[in-house]
Amino acid sequence: IILTASFLLKTYHGGHIVIRLAMAGHKQSNRPFYRIVAAYNKRARDSKYIEQLGSYDPLPNIYNEKLVSINYDRIKYWMGCGAHPTKPVAKLLGLAGFFPLHPMTVTETERHRALAELAEEAAPQDGVKQQQL
Amino acid sequence: LSLMALRLRLKNSFCHSFDAPVLTSSISEVINLFLGSPDAHVKPQFLDSEVQDILTRITGLNLEKVFRPIKQELKPPKYKLMTDAQLEEATQSAREQAQRLLKMPPVLPERKPINDVLSEDKILEGMDTAKYVFTDITFNIPHRERFIVIREPTGTLRKASWEERDRILQVYFPKEGRRLTAPPVFKEENLKVVFGQDRHEDMLDLCQVQFEPDSSEYIRVHAATYEDLEKMGKYDLLRSTRHFGGLVWYLVNARRVDGLMIDMLQKDLLQDAVSLVGLFNKVHPHSETAQEASSQQAYGLDLLKIYAKRESQRAGYVELALQAYEQTSAESTV
Repeated sequence: IILTASFLLKTYHGGHIVIRLAMAGHKQSNRPFYRIVAAYNKRARDSKYIEQLGSYDPLPNIYNEKLVSINYDRIKYWMGCGAHPTKPVAKLLGLAGFFPLHPMTVTETERHRALAELAEEAAPQDGVKQQQL
Repeated sequence: LSLMALRLRLKNSFCHSFDAPVLTSSISEVINLFLGSPDAHVKPQFLDSEVQDILTRITGLNLEKVFRPIKQELKPPKYKLMTDAQLEEATQSAREQAQRLLKMPPVLPERKPINDVLSEDKILEGMDTAKYVFTDITFNIPHRERFIVIREPTGTLRKASWEERDRILQVYFPKEGRRLTAPPVFKEENLKVVFGQDRHEDMLDLCQVQFEPDSSEYIRVHAATYEDLEKMGKYDLLRSTRHFGGLVWYLVNARRVDGLMIDMLQKDLLQDAVSLVGLFNKVHPHSETAQEASSQQAYGLDLLKIYAKRESQRAGYVELALQAYEQTSAESTV
């Protein structure tokens, strides 16, 4: 049997490797910050991971940017070893252009747009009613 | 940047196509070989070895100024007992260290803005109010080739502009001394205050740390500094620093070498003045000075006289200074 990294990981651990977002420390603060991480499936979300592959900051900065850093080289390696990305990671990579666009991104955008249109229709009607009164 | 890439590609192609390496000392010679005819003249660039030689000679090497006390951690002084030979060796190593410290920062043309759009996805419009910036953190790529892409709320995936690139590279790969936003010293009014305090050198060092050499900010600050220096005639402030070469290059390209020439003659630096005129002739070979100099094969003082006659606006000053120099040299010999 050829001893590749993926083979060793599967036989030793029994679970599989995932690429997922882990909340980075600071449990007391009201400020989320995620690390894109390669970890075993069964481990807790924030506990020991195998390798950090990037970061994601969900709150926009003063220039209205959400900073995402991705180590494409190592992600390619882990995907080659048989790691599975989770849904949010797949969505981020789809937005980055590394993966094809995730279908849920499109669905979410459509839902978001429908909600926004409903809100617009509601708001002008309220405004008109107030003027009439 | 494309010109630099072209030169690099030319250099590489020459290394591969010839068996023995082509021994050229300057980039313009390589381009001449590529163009085929030896008469087709390419303007000498800042990084040519001849130009660099002239500029290092003009900059001078004042050890007192290069190693003057700077703001550093307070330590008790160390005293060493040395023989004369050891002192010689120490001064020699100090001189080599000074030459390394005086290495000139490159003068590059302004970088062209990046307008690359990788994909337009109209289905993603209205997804989010903020932009997503994706940086590649792979370790072994040079910063200029890193992928930094931005997904706008309209759904377009585009490459980041140069200013955004600088800011984001500073976030993920911080350089010492560089700040995320430029300090307000670099605005016009504040620059004038700094120049009033004669701190041009500190200004240029700060600019070096903060901006990339081919950014518009860097070029603007350097141009403002050189203009102010030329207006006030304070060439001595930069004389033994690494920015003097840049100043001379700027003045030679703008053809306003008079002030510097007069300053050199007043300080009796004849060799420097001669090499300055030589550099001017190399950079502007179609000017009157260069053509007359090449036709007469002039050297030394004659070059200066030709320059004073043909090119300079303040010819009177230059000729006076030359005469004064000749008189003093005659008196000293007599």
